[in-house]
Order: sequence, then structure tokens, then C-alpha cells
Amino acid sequence: MIKVFILKFRSSNSLVFVLALFLFAIGLVTLKSIESGQTSSIYSQSFYKQLIFMIPALIGLLTAFLIPRHTIHRYIYGLYGVILIFVLIPYMGREIANTYRWVDIGLPIGFQPSEFAKWIVVIALARYLSDHNLQMNYFSANILPIIIALFPAFIILIQPDLGTAIIIMVPVLPMLYWAGARPFHLFLFIAPLISILTAFHWISFTIWAMLMMFIIYKAKPSIIFGITTFFSNVFLGLLSPVLWGMLKDYQQKRILTLFNPELDPLGAAYQIIQSKTAIGAGGLLGKGWGQGTQTHLKFLPVQESDFIVSVIGEELGFVAIFVIVTIFTIFILKIIRSAYNVDDRFSSLTMIGIASIFTAHVFVNFAMTVGMIPVKGLPLPFVSYGGSFLLSSFIMVGLIMNLSIDPKDY
Amino acid sequence: MIVASGVVILLMMSLLIRFFSIQFHSYEKYSKRAEVNRIRAIPLNAPRGLILDRNGEIIVDNYPTYVLTGIPGEMIDKRKNFYIISQCTGIDTSVLKSNYDKYYRGKFLPSRIAKDLTFDQLSRIEEHKTDLTGINYIQFPERIYSGKINAPHLLGYVKEVDRALIKELAEPEKYIYGDLVGWRGLEKVYEKSLRGEKGIYFMEVDAFGREIGISTDRNAEYPVPGNNLVTSILLPLQEMLEKRLEGLKGVALVSNPKTGEILAFVSKPDYPADLFTGTTTIDDWKKIISDPDKPLLNRITHGLYPPGSTLKMITAMALIEKKRVSYSETIDCSGVYTLGDRDFRCWKENGHGTVNLKKAIAQSCNIYFYHLVQRLSIDEWAEACRQFGFGKKVGIDLASEAKGVVPTSSFMNKQYGRWGWSKGHLLNVSLGQGEFVATPIQMLQYINLLAMKGRTPVLHTIKNKETELVEVNSFSKKTWDQIESFMQQVIIAPNGTGRRSDPKIPGLIIAGKTGTAQNPHGEDHAWYIGYGKYKNDVISVVILIEHGGHGGVTSAPIARSVFNLLFSSNETMKLAFTQ
Repeated sequence: MIKVFILKFRSSNSLVFVLALFLFAIGLVTLKSIESGQTSSIYSQSFYKQLIFMIPALIGLLTAFLIPRHTIHRYIYGLYGVILIFVLIPYMGREIANTYRWVDIGLPIGFQPSEFAKWIVVIALARYLSDHNLQMNYFSANILPIIIALFPAFIILIQPDLGTAIIIMVPVLPMLYWAGARPFHLFLFIAPLISILTAFHWISFTIWAMLMMFIIYKAKPSIIFGITTFFSNVFLGLLSPVLWGMLKDYQQKRILTLFNPELDPLGAAYQIIQSKTAIGAGGLLGKGWGQGTQTHLKFLPVQESDFIVSVIGEELGFVAIFVIVTIFTIFILKIIRSAYNVDDRFSSLTMIGIASIFTAHVFVNFAMTVGMIPVKGLPLPFVSYGGSFLLSSFIMVGLIMNLSIDPKDY
Repeated sequence: MIVASGVVILLMMSLLIRFFSIQFHSYEKYSKRAEVNRIRAIPLNAPRGLILDRNGEIIVDNYPTYVLTGIPGEMIDKRKNFYIISQCTGIDTSVLKSNYDKYYRGKFLPSRIAKDLTFDQLSRIEEHKTDLTGINYIQFPERIYSGKINAPHLLGYVKEVDRALIKELAEPEKYIYGDLVGWRGLEKVYEKSLRGEKGIYFMEVDAFGREIGISTDRNAEYPVPGNNLVTSILLPLQEMLEKRLEGLKGVALVSNPKTGEILAFVSKPDYPADLFTGTTTIDDWKKIISDPDKPLLNRITHGLYPPGSTLKMITAMALIEKKRVSYSETIDCSGVYTLGDRDFRCWKENGHGTVNLKKAIAQSCNIYFYHLVQRLSIDEWAEACRQFGFGKKVGIDLASEAKGVVPTSSFMNKQYGRWGWSKGHLLNVSLGQGEFVATPIQMLQYINLLAMKGRTPVLHTIKNKETELVEVNSFSKKTWDQIESFMQQVIIAPNGTGRRSDPKIPGLIIAGKTGTAQNPHGEDHAWYIGYGKYKNDVISVVILIEHGGHGGVTSAPIARSVFNLLFSSNETMKLAFTQ
């Protein structure tokens, strides 16, 4: 048994695990720094709590690593059904911080089923795309996979948790692409979104319309289909400002705040200013561990989770940011390489999905701390404080290690 | 694979470029901002809503005090700072130090050092400003009471939020240490509406903690003051009753049965309304909590008393409605009724002579009711009492209340065993003694149901608040009318026990009942419940004086002064009844 385990571990993509542990250690060091000089109990315990969270996380990793791949394949649809029920359950529970995303399991800690939905959706998609020897050349073959992801994403969106909903949708297009869908078909899915977003200024909309025309021309669909696509997008674009105008003021504000928290009066704008100041003041080498005056200003309410990068940026400087981003890059590229090397289509697609999730998390988290993008509320994998996400991340690492092994190797 | 890896590398590169530009190219700008210009968020406390009487007279007001705060990360020499502050204010350094620790929230957040500072003390501190880096003061509204009335059980009080308290709050995110939160009475029940919304403004400060000016990065949010609470209390009436009951132990309640609004809410003895504002010495505090008269107890909602003869109307109505008595039937009262080997006495030693139902209520003859109540089973009788709201909460808009006890056969079995109680117990209980206990607020609802003939809104203390109806449906209009006429006899008959409550104002018709409730602790409790109808207006009154003797002697005159005050002039009537 142990021998099998060691063999399996050796032949797996174990570098991924080592990198994850290294990132976790960086997170711990940062939590310890945040804790220094704090007496408030919320902050003073995060270091130890995070250490304790590591126990279930490692158990999750081992389980995901040891469980046979065909078992995963067989039961994933059932698990998908279960997680759908779980993301619905919080609506029957109590409200925490105005949202319903937590499930009360009778322990002092709550758990967030939407975290698990991320990778369950990916595996379910991978099974669907690998089982059906799909004719990916047909446009219609793309529709059911999108629905598989859209369904839980929608439930989570109205919790409301835009960040997680986006993360659930992110793997769909890369996985479809990996499965062999035509890029033009994927373009057709994104086009309406861009049409709506560009419609609020005539210059952006004109540029988009021209670009759209060029792409449709290049893809050479049937004339009727091409023209329909083009004009329905233009029509959608023209319609959206009208529909927008029909919404009540507070509804508009709510939607805008969802996409751009800076509009929230007592909310994130100030956080982002503080975060940028902190990171900028860190300079190349940082102010030193525990010396960050800006991050110790408690204006960043989630500096131990979503804004942990601001603390690292201020105290350890660009050097540390560079190291962390590089580690993440190697980590993700390793996953993509495994996905490329492995023969089995199901494993390959799962790994691409997981790689997309990690990429999205890392990019969104880093980008929001410097104000590149507005979306809030996504933690940094392995580094940020938080039990559910740590567990979920290490389960994904376990899955990668498991699926990256060529079955013939052991 | 190349496309996928390429996308990842591109995204990561863009992150690194952005971080590099912020941390390398803009380093100067941001580090200056971080080191020299810090932005300090300063909360603007919202004044709590005022508590007003029904005509807008202020009962509870705010007054501005100054609070001294220190930012731990900016205080260079704490001991020296505390020493200077102590010199300027006369507050001991140990007090300053313990406050500082108590309110500590973080290295760069202001912690409260002292409160209730006068302008004088502040100006002395201002002179030493250069030695006191990180020390600031903010204005802080505190509660102040009008002084005309006390009513602490109704108004309740606010408490300072601290580390232990914040965990018990329903919305902890809305409070920081040092805030005030309604903790009892109206302050608690209407906390959401009273507290208002905090504002915030941002100051740029330099490395020494000196404020340079208002930050331009962020706009200030002005505080939204709490909503004023217009209670249904009538200030002059409350004032008069508090004076009348001074030195006594008891309760006075006045309400409008048509609306369910409470006009006076007096529970004596009480404690000073400002007991909890932090100016009370420990000795005074100890005196209050060890006082055998229990001034902290809200007798209106938590005092449990036997209601005595005031319950007779329920017994009479149940008998009439079930046709077990006729109005002409008479009983001979000789002053004593013997059941088995036990004598039950009427309050009038020589007896009332020949008594019918009318006379039995007007003169409160016990013998009559000892005879007749035996025609009801204990459970029939208890059911009638429950319909009038005894044994359950009335649902007044105060945080909590007691339920009282209506003994049923199963209750008595539990208490005494299946065969352990006899008819004698029933006689006792049905006269509102023994196991039967009720709160004065239940008595008020009871008299309101009698005044409105079975339909009255749930009692409340806020003006113009719509509340549900309490209904008693099992009696015919004829029965209600009959009982009302008997209760008028209590006031107008020559020997009526409630005659002392009649101020003899033309047009004012009073109906009521007195009660003299035996209790194991001493002299009888004196009850008066009644209502006065004048044209379209109704006022109900409940008076209870603990160990006051006869209800007709001790309590009825207090009710008279209520009727007198409200109905003797058009002006007071306007104050009492305008909506």
C-alpha cells in the first residue's frame, strides 16, 4: 500500500505540490506579520487557524490524489447534483454579511459550498466533453457544456457572489477550446457580452462593430448566418442602453456596484487607494517584515484574505511579488504541460479547467489590489487566509497529481 | 498548448509590469503618501433620536460631550502623554491607562482615553498639543433626561459598547467600542430607528500626526441623525402620577382603550433615569441593587400580584353567558361562608344582607361569589380568564414581560397532587387570590377589553402605532352592557367601593372595580381598575398600591386625580386625545 503510494507520488507531478506548500508558507509568514501588534481577536488568531485549516486541506489532497481516476469519472455527475443542492441550501440558512453563501454545519466554522462547486463543475464538464465523442465542429455541441457551468454559476451569482460565479464560468471556454471547439464558435459566445459592454459609448461600439465584421468575414460562415450574427449583436448593443434606462436608479446602482465596487460609498474605492499606496510604498525591497505602516492601518478589512498581496507588497516589496508571480506561473505552466502530456482526454480536460481556475484567481486577485480591474472578493490560492478555499485548492492540487500520472507508469 | 501557456505568461507579465511600475516608477509618490501624508478616517457620530411625549415635549435629549482619543501608533511616549492629560483634566493616570487598554482596537485606530470632558479641560490640553502627538478629541453626543419625569422602566437606557458587549449585539458591524447602544426599555426596542447612521470624514495628517487638512481623495459622509421617537406618554399626567406615587410601592397606568396607547407608565420605587450614564458612584449603585424594595424591577410588566376582587367581572360574565345565574337571584350575606370545616369571610364583617348580582359587584360581596362560582368548573372559569389575556403576554412593545398564572385543574393537580386540593382552593383562586397572579399590564388590557366590549388594540407606548386587535368573542353585547352598568354602580351607588374615584364631572361616566388582595407578605394590596367615558373619549386607569389596604380607600382617589386632570378642562383633553 505504502509502496504503491510512494510509487504513485514519485511518478506524479509532485513539483506542483511543493510549489503549493511554498506559497502556503509565504501566506503564513504574512499572517504572522499582520498579527504582530494586534490585540483584536479576529486578527490575532488567523495564523493558528490557518495552520489548523491545513489539516483538512492535506486530507483533502490525499483523498483526491489516491482516489482512482475511474471512480472520479463514474461519480462526478452525482457529485455535481449534490453540490447543486448544497449551493441552494444556504438560502435556507441564515444570512451572513448580507449574503447567503455560507452553510452552517454546526461547527464554529462555516463552510462555503460554492468553493467546491468550482472544481466539481470542471470535472463534470471534462467528463461530458470526453465521454461524448463530440463533433466539436458543430456549434450546437458547445451549448450543453455551457449550461452545465451556467446553472451553478447563476445560483451563486444571486447569493450574491459575482467573483465565484465568474470563476465557475472561466474554465468553460478554455476547456471547449482544448476539446477542439472552433474558435469562431467561442467568439459567438463572447460577442453578445462585448456588444452590451461596448454599447455605452459610440466610439467603442463602432470599433467593436468593425472588429466583429472582420472576424465574421475571416471565419467565412454562411452568408445568412454571418449577417444574422452581426446584426443581432448590433441590435443587442443598441437595445441595451434602452433597457438600462428602464431600470430604477437603485437597480442601476446595485448592478454597477457589483461590477465596480468603487461606486460603493463606504466601500472599496478607499480600500484600493490604500492598497495601492501600501504596495507602492513597499518599493523594490519592501519595508521589512512587520513594518508595513499602511497595511497595519485597519482600513483594509480583508487584508488577511483578499488583500494579503497588499501586505506582501508593502513589507516584502516587488522582489517578493516577482517571486510569487513567478511561482504561480511555473505552477500553472506545469499543469498545462501535464494536461498536454497525458493521454487520457478526461484527465487532460480536468487539468486545463483547474489551470484556468488558478489563473483566474491569481490574476484577478493581484490585479484588483493595484486597481487594474474592479471585481472584488477573490482570495489568492494557498496564500490567503480562509479554510474552505484552502481545502478546495489543495483538493485541486491532489487531483492534478493524480490525473497527471500516465496509468501505464505504475 | 502554446496558446494556453502563452495566455498565462501574458497575463502574469502584465501583472508584473503593473506592479513594477507602481513599486519602482511611482515608488516616490506612494512612499511619500504613505510616510508623510496619511489619511485618517474620523467617524462622525450620529446623534441618537430624541424621545418625546405625545405632544412633542422632550423627555430624553442629547448633549454634546468631548471624548479624548489616542492613536497608539502615533503616541510617542504614552506615559508622558497620560501624565500631561492627567495634569490638565484631573483624571488619574491609571483611569486613562485602563480606558486606553479597554478601547484598544489596533495600532493605527484611535482608542478612547477619557470622556465627558469640559471645554475648560480641552483648552488646557490644547495648550500642550505639541507634546501630545496622536491625541485628538471628538464630539460625542450623550443622553440627558428632562428631569420632569423619571419613568426609567419605560425609557430604558443606553450602554457603552465594549469588547464583551459587541458579541451580544444583533448587528455588531454597526458599532465600534465606545458607541452607545439601547440596552433596556424603549432605547432597546427602537434601537434601529433611534441610532441613526454614522458619518465619516477623512483628514490628511503628517508624520507627526498633525492634521494638515481635509482629504481630497475621499468625500465626507455626513451622519444621519436617528429618528425621534414620539411616545404616547402624556407628560403632565406622567409627572402628576410620579409625584402621587412617590414614597409608595406600586403602579399607575393610564391608557386610551380605543387606540391601545399608554398615557402614563409609573412603577415605583424606581431609580434615577441617568443611573447608567456613567456618573453613578459604586456606592450608590450598590445601594440600589441591594434595596429590598427592588427599584430596578419593572413592576408593570414583571410584578406578579393576586388581582383580588377585580376579577369578579369575569366570573359574573361567565355565569351570565352560561345562564347559570339570573339577575334577580339573591344570596344572603352574613359576613361568613362555611365550606366543610373552613370559614370564608366577606370583607365586610357584618355582611351585606340580601345581595343580588348588581349589588354583589357594586359592593364587592365575596359571599355571593363564593356561592355562585361553584356553578362553574375551574377550567370553565380559567378559560374565561385566559380569554381576557391572563396567563399570557400582552405583547407590549417593551423587551420582555411576565406571563402570570391562571390555575387550571391540571395546574392544581401538578401543584398539590390529584387529590391534594379542594373546593376551598377554587373559592380562593376564583376571587383572584392564592395561585392566581397577574401583571399590572395584563390588568390594563383587561379593563380596556371591558371598556371596549371585547375589542381593543394591543397596548403600546408609541403614538399612532397600528397594533393588532385583542378580541374576546364569547360574550353577547347584552352581557357586556350589563357588566358595564354594574361597574358604574361600583362608582355611583352610595356604598359602591369605587365611589372615591369619581371627580363628579358632568358628562363623565365612570365604570370600575376595586380590589383588596390578600398576600402573604403583609397588608393587602390595593387595586383600582376603571375607565371614564366622556362624549367619544375613553380613558382607562389601573392603580396598584402594594400593601395599601383597601383598594377603594387607597387607590381609587389616585384614579380620581387622573380623571380630574384629563377631563376637567378642554386643554388637557386636547393634549390627551389629539392624534
